[in-house]
Amino acid sequence: MKFLTFITILMTTAMLAYATLDMPGFADPSSPASTHVSPVYIQEAYEKTATPNIVTAVLADYRSYDTLGETVVIFTAGVACMMLLRREK
Amino acid sequence: MEIMDFIISKYNYWMYIILMMIGFYAMIAKNNLVKKVIGMNIFQTAIILFFVSTASKKGATIPIIQHGHGEAADIINTAQYMNPLPHVLMLTAIVVMVSTFGVAIALLIMLYKKYNTLEEDEILEILRTEDG
Repeated sequence: MKFLTFITILMTTAMLAYATLDMPGFADPSSPASTHVSPVYIQEAYEKTATPNIVTAVLADYRSYDTLGETVVIFTAGVACMMLLRREK
Repeated sequence: MEIMDFIISKYNYWMYIILMMIGFYAMIAKNNLVKKVIGMNIFQTAIILFFVSTASKKGATIPIIQHGHGEAADIINTAQYMNPLPHVLMLTAIVVMVSTFGVAIALLIMLYKKYNTLEEDEILEILRTEDG
């Protein structure tokens, strides 16, 4: 069983390490992630939302429904904890 | 020299792989359920670190527009600010991580109240004797 665990972990490590060969280098300004979608947000966020902090602008203006969904997640987790932990009468 | 550049540009991913595999090992091999939950947290932290590291750009600063509330926002140079999108998405992921952690700990408390142990094999043993 221990042997099987180590084999699984070694294989996963090898696969992930092989996948990093195709990844862009660390802090590369010409990586796909920083050339395709994000320049639009950096350029337009201040004009459109009047918020200097772009992270806040995306979180609360562009993706505010997503943030509402997050509060639902937290609420569900809180209700689940309360139902699990309440004292039985 | 070329191999050195290659290692420097990739070693952050390898660190996250190591961290992730530590969490993965804890999740699948440990017997204590609290250790499994801690392993899950390490796993999620590794993923969050990986995504945040893809946001970084050489020579860039945090994604807050400088002189933002002044009269004229300067012309925004895209290379000057880091990618804000991974930061936002990882905020969401942190929320999910905290929620799962809380529910998992609540479940563990109830398990301990019922079986008086948190070792997986002992719980399975109790379940087996209850059935048979």
